[in-house]
Amino acid sequence: MPPSKLKSVYFSLIVAFIFLLLPWSGVWLKIRPDFLLLVVVFWIIRAPNLCNVGTAWFVGLFVDLATGSIFGQQALAYTITAFFAVTYQRRLVLFNNTQQLFYVFLLLLISQIALLIFKTFSGADFIGWSYFLPSITGILLWKIAVLLGLNTGGRSRAA
Amino acid sequence: MSHRINHKLEHQAAPAFFVRGPSAFARLAFFSVLSIALMASDSRLHYLTGLRQNLQAILHPLQLLANTPAQIYRNIDEYFTTHDRLLNENRQLKQHELQQAIALQKLNTLALENEYLRELLQTNKSIIESSIVAEIMHVGRDLFTKKIIVNRGFSHGVEAGEAVVDGTGVIGQVTRVYPLSSEVTLITDKYLAIPIQVERNGLRAIAFGHGRDNTMDLPYLPTNVDIKRGDKLVTSGIDGVYPAGLAVAMVSHIEITPDSPFARIICMPTGGVENHRQVLLVSIPQTAKLAIEQSKVEALAKPLDSKEADAKPNQTKPADTKPNPDNTSKPHATE
Repeated sequence: MPPSKLKSVYFSLIVAFIFLLLPWSGVWLKIRPDFLLLVVVFWIIRAPNLCNVGTAWFVGLFVDLATGSIFGQQALAYTITAFFAVTYQRRLVLFNNTQQLFYVFLLLLISQIALLIFKTFSGADFIGWSYFLPSITGILLWKIAVLLGLNTGGRSRAA
Repeated sequence: MSHRINHKLEHQAAPAFFVRGPSAFARLAFFSVLSIALMASDSRLHYLTGLRQNLQAILHPLQLLANTPAQIYRNIDEYFTTHDRLLNENRQLKQHELQQAIALQKLNTLALENEYLRELLQTNKSIIESSIVAEIMHVGRDLFTKKIIVNRGFSHGVEAGEAVVDGTGVIGQVTRVYPLSSEVTLITDKYLAIPIQVERNGLRAIAFGHGRDNTMDLPYLPTNVDIKRGDKLVTSGIDGVYPAGLAVAMVSHIEITPDSPFARIICMPTGGVENHRQVLLVSIPQTAKLAIEQSKVEALAKPLDSKEADAKPNQTKPADTKPNPDNTSKPHATE
């Protein structure tokens, strides 16, 4: 597999950001997967030299801007998630697809739980268990991407 | 930075593919501290408002790009609207227009009468609000709050604090203004309060958004309060933000429990909080503030005119001067 390019990392992040900016509403807003986190996790697994904790933090800042929440909330949630992804990156690439799927699901949950904690600190109420639906749709999206031929594992350590 | 570490590690004869820069934990610590600092400065010290506005302006083209698919879909949908539906809609609109024309005629005579009565009473003129029509760009993306983003910002003259109204009632308030868009917090949001009045008996209260469902609460009212199911709540106008008399909500449920001194009153908003595309941003009534200040100055200037008009010639023109507590307290001191 050819080594990943920085350009493709940024391009995919921008595309994911536009997906976030789509005018979601109603039920679709509730089940909207976290596109940016999925892309960040993908690149952390595939090319940790190009996309790391810092990238996740910056992406989180832009999500904070887009959602209009306090600067740093989503950024911190993404940072923590990226930390867990980076720490287990060497294992993640050797996992088979099902194991990887499970671990990515855990990462999405970590991000959501972290965000929930920070939101609760700033005075928000828990909005019910449907809050965790985006993790499930996220993992479905990941599965679909893998089925469509996206290479998320194997010997993909670039550099 | 990485080059230096690289160099250092090469010096120790480590293979290059182990080089990963600072450890993941170091990065986590660094960025966590940075995020916490940002959270504090944004939420408590409000340093980042300008930065947020500028970044929003940069993001605006991306937002427009993201909105185009939905826009195109709507345009196509509009194009293929059937003849029948259009005719129906037209008939309905005509009927509506007739009703409104009648209401407007009544309103005109009432406004004239009101003006005349106010002149008789020599009170200040009623407030005339200006308003801006805006279109909803998208629903707020934060699931924890109830917000919408509309396509008018401070380059169109929108100010934070303006009331947002649709054809059927109040739906919210402008809370953040960006250059080309602004953020509206809906009345169903947990942190938005709105002073209301019960239409039936004039009882004043403050309504809060419930936050989770699309309902509103009327907290801190005693159990013997005179509110019934089906009561209409309108804005009282005493806050100087919302024009008086706009429909806000309808009481849908009252619960009185013996262990609580307060009644639990739940209301449904009358405005189409979730289903309209066009909204009206009603500007904060500036004239009210000015008029009150002017009348204050006039009231203070009158005794001065009668007693020592030559001593204070500038006080005779109340329009130019602001009420100055120093000036007005002087004559009392001399007396």
